[in-house]
Amino acid sequence: MLSAADILDILATGATTRIEDPARVPAFAPGDKVVTRTLSPLTHTRLPRYCRGKRGVVVKVHGLYALPDVRAIGDEETREYCYAVRFDMRELWGPQGAATDSLTIDLWDSYLLPAPVEVTP
Amino acid sequence: MAGQHDDHDHDDHSHGDHSHEGHDHDHFHRIHSEEVDALLMSIADIEISARVKALEELLTQKGLVDPSALDAVVDLYENQIGPKNGARVIARAWADPVYKAWLLADPNAAIADLGFAGAQGENMVALENTADVHNVVVCTLCSCYPWPVLGLPPVWYKSMPYRTRIVRDPRSVLAEFGTVLPDSTEIRVWDSNSEVRYLVVPRRPEGTEGLDEAALAALVSRDSMIGVTEALSPEPA
Repeated sequence: MLSAADILDILATGATTRIEDPARVPAFAPGDKVVTRTLSPLTHTRLPRYCRGKRGVVVKVHGLYALPDVRAIGDEETREYCYAVRFDMRELWGPQGAATDSLTIDLWDSYLLPAPVEVTP
Repeated sequence: MAGQHDDHDHDDHSHGDHSHEGHDHDHFHRIHSEEVDALLMSIADIEISARVKALEELLTQKGLVDPSALDAVVDLYENQIGPKNGARVIARAWADPVYKAWLLADPNAAIADLGFAGAQGENMVALENTADVHNVVVCTLCSCYPWPVLGLPPVWYKSMPYRTRIVRDPRSVLAEFGTVLPDSTEIRVWDSNSEVRYLVVPRRPEGTEGLDEAALAALVSRDSMIGVTEALSPEPA
């Protein structure tokens, strides 16, 4: 059982699953266009439905973090790069989304694919 | 270990509110921070506090939780850690351009320099509001929030109406908070769904040139650091 001193120590210190691993290079860099996968796991995910199968742009590389999808079912070891990915509101909500506005969400490697090259007919 | 969870592992507490969603939904066409807080508290108080009390008694009886540890946590977040911490960070950033650049480039270090760190603040990102860009933060999956600088989240931040509407129609939701932005302002909504925690750096209000950091900090509201409002304007002299 945690004592008051234990819990205050934990809260003061904090904890993160983030690791540094210079040997692992992020798959994406800021400015890269990506498309989110249309995953529908029966277990936990941090890829909300509203941004599945959508085109966005990486705006920041956060670092290597635990992948919540597998951590939720017992895998404490796996780390993936997590990125801030920005979507135009119209990409998420169609023509009724605001053209000026955007939504940025943190997404892991497993959720992302490089955007296909757009071919104009 | 306990500190290593982030809030999403406790998705259940948002789901626990599901019983309220259907029948209360109509009340929430307008979101206003204080009204909604009061309303949600009045609805949630009876049921939630009874459940919390029952859980606390059970955990204590089974010897799993030390009541003095619970008291220590409540005291920490009720009396010691709260948005006054974040306000000091923002006031320093307004007063000192070098500090502001540091806060934007290395927020963990800049925030720790003022003595603020710990659980739910391990991986901070600071988002600067400008004349052209207004940032606002939500956690659509539950209630993730930067505790060391803002304390625990307000009830409306955890409510389904805020979480669902801010990502779909931020301009209207901000207007309901009294924040009416020019049409040309780009609104950036940040869905805080990872271990990263976001702190909005509101714009420094006009007419604050002569103020010291303590006076500046008094203008930095909790809501302005979530991004649903601007910082307060100084009282006319």
